[in-house]
Amino acid sequence: MWKDIWFLVIRTLRATFRKRSTMILYFGLPIAGILASLLLYGSQGATELRVGVVNGDDGQTIAADTVQFVQGLDHVKVVNVTQQELQDQLAASDLDSGLIIESGYSESVRSGSPDHIAIQSVKGAQVTAYMKSMLYGYIDNVAAMGRISAGNDAKFQQLYDRYRSADFKVTSESVNDTSTTKEMSYQSIGFLLMFMMTSAVSLSELILKNRENRTYFRVLSSPINARTYVMANILMNLIVMLAQIVIVLFFMRVVFRIDPGMPVAQMFGILLLFSLVSVSISLVIVAFSKSTAMAGALSNLIVTPTCLLSGCFFPISIMPDAIRRVSDFLPQNWVLQSIEKLQSGEGFAGVWFNLSILFAFAVVFFLIATYKFGRNNDTRNFV
Amino acid sequence: MNVLDIRGLTKKFGEFVAVDNMSLTVREGEIFGFLGANGAGKSTTINMVSSLLRPSSGEIRILDRDITKQSRFAKLNLGIVPQDLAIYEDMTAYENVSFFAGLYGLRGTQLKERTEEALEFVGLSDKAKSLPKNFSGGMKRRLNIACAIAHKPKLIIMDEPTVGIDPQSRNYILTSVRNLNESGCTIIYTSHYMEEVEEICSRIAIVDHGKIIAEGTKEQLKSTITDVKDIRIEVKSAQPAAAGVLKAIPGVRTVLQEENVIRIHSDAAVDNLNRILKQLMDDGMEIRSVEEKEPNLETVFLTLTGRNLRD
Repeated sequence: MWKDIWFLVIRTLRATFRKRSTMILYFGLPIAGILASLLLYGSQGATELRVGVVNGDDGQTIAADTVQFVQGLDHVKVVNVTQQELQDQLAASDLDSGLIIESGYSESVRSGSPDHIAIQSVKGAQVTAYMKSMLYGYIDNVAAMGRISAGNDAKFQQLYDRYRSADFKVTSESVNDTSTTKEMSYQSIGFLLMFMMTSAVSLSELILKNRENRTYFRVLSSPINARTYVMANILMNLIVMLAQIVIVLFFMRVVFRIDPGMPVAQMFGILLLFSLVSVSISLVIVAFSKSTAMAGALSNLIVTPTCLLSGCFFPISIMPDAIRRVSDFLPQNWVLQSIEKLQSGEGFAGVWFNLSILFAFAVVFFLIATYKFGRNNDTRNFV
Repeated sequence: MNVLDIRGLTKKFGEFVAVDNMSLTVREGEIFGFLGANGAGKSTTINMVSSLLRPSSGEIRILDRDITKQSRFAKLNLGIVPQDLAIYEDMTAYENVSFFAGLYGLRGTQLKERTEEALEFVGLSDKAKSLPKNFSGGMKRRLNIACAIAHKPKLIIMDEPTVGIDPQSRNYILTSVRNLNESGCTIIYTSHYMEEVEEICSRIAIVDHGKIIAEGTKEQLKSTITDVKDIRIEVKSAQPAAAGVLKAIPGVRTVLQEENVIRIHSDAAVDNLNRILKQLMDDGMEIRSVEEKEPNLETVFLTLTGRNLRD
């Protein structure tokens, strides 16, 4: 029987992958999924904050120093503008935020009660929070000197000069932020899950296609029985998905150098288990379809929506609770949950429950497909 | 030696009995005609012989072995040429034959040789690397045959192998059938073209309502209807009601109307031709020609089943 299965697998693979378009469909699209993840998350790195400064307290040292301080902040680019230019450029998104120093600002700081300063932005707290916290810290320090000098200008100047020329020893340690690459690999896997499911349905559809062109019945009139034929289809399907997984992991790790934040072997194992689930679902779709058109429609109805609800296209954390509960019934979600757990440092032992659920999904779907195949009897149209 | 032995074969689909206690024997070296109108039970029988359908009851033996108990042996010795083409349009002719032959366990040099032989046999050697989607109807039919014979089966079932093709391809296929038979294959042949069956079949069975109603050589079958005469009358413009009126004339058994030709099977002993012609003229039909033919297979079929083979 295994010789027959292998013969069918090899011949079908050869016939299926003869066309370049098929290669692109099965292997190019998952790679495109990684590229899409790169585009989605690659732009999330450090960005520059464009700040327009209107210095109305011209000629004052404290005001000038404040502008210089802002200029010295990491990832901040300062542009000197007029009040009108600031409004226009904020509205046009040419600037992210504006710092308005009004006349009397320096005096207010010197007196210990900072005033006449404002930060404007149309993009809200996500833009202003960083500058606010840094700037207010600086202003508070200078204001504290003003309060200590209690109106004594000479004393303030002495304190202020010492503060400006202070030689701080700063020790800095870099921490590598892996969250973005983890998100990239998570999302790449999300896309891969969808492509695996689509490929599985497409390959299982060959059973229906061969029924439609009647070659299926010719095969069954040979010593090959229906069980051998379906097993060959399953094996071929698994081989294609294995290749998809290997190619995607290779491109992710070696070509695009994305660190998945977990051992690649573990990711491979989980995806391999998911390939069983994909094949079983595809067989259920085929078993309940009378034509390739019907299988295609069922596939569209099942694959894309379930991938959407499971977080294959965007993180499930942004979805409402009700949808999250629904996703518990979807195998893709269990794969993504497992990957998330492993990325957050849990060992393989921590995802055993998830893997068991995935295995159970595969078994249940295989049983449903087997039952339905057993009840199908379309041979009357053969001769 | 019997190549195919069917005993008490029955197939039911719910309440409907498609094949009813059928018994049939096909001997080695025969080209066996299996005739029946649509829905007579012919295809269901072939499906059961091919192991595509499980009989409700009865026994099928190929080369004296029960096909349910020794399915692999039976299938290895059986080739099926289905009525509807069963080939891969996106595989070359060579790949098609090689694929189907490979299902019978042929590998390597043997597979290559058998594939080439089969393509040679059906005259498609020069098209071995072409895709069937570029083939004519006749070439596709020939490829359909090549896919069934490459593993050299002892019994080949050909279901309407010449349907819808040009006369040249039909002649080629009929010659191929004879050549296959001469090379030792036993063939079960079904066709709607009675002249083909009459030309190549050594023995014929007529099936109707799931039962064999007649079986024998064409001469034996024809001899069963010596009491029937076959009259063909061509009229200028036949009226739809003509058949009903003619059936009332004594001796008339069946009346078939095909456009302006009225075919009447009547008792040979009853002299009723004048009455038939008078009736037609009374009904306003202008007679163009009258012909009384020797009974042929079609006459036999019509007489026995009351139906045309193409019904």
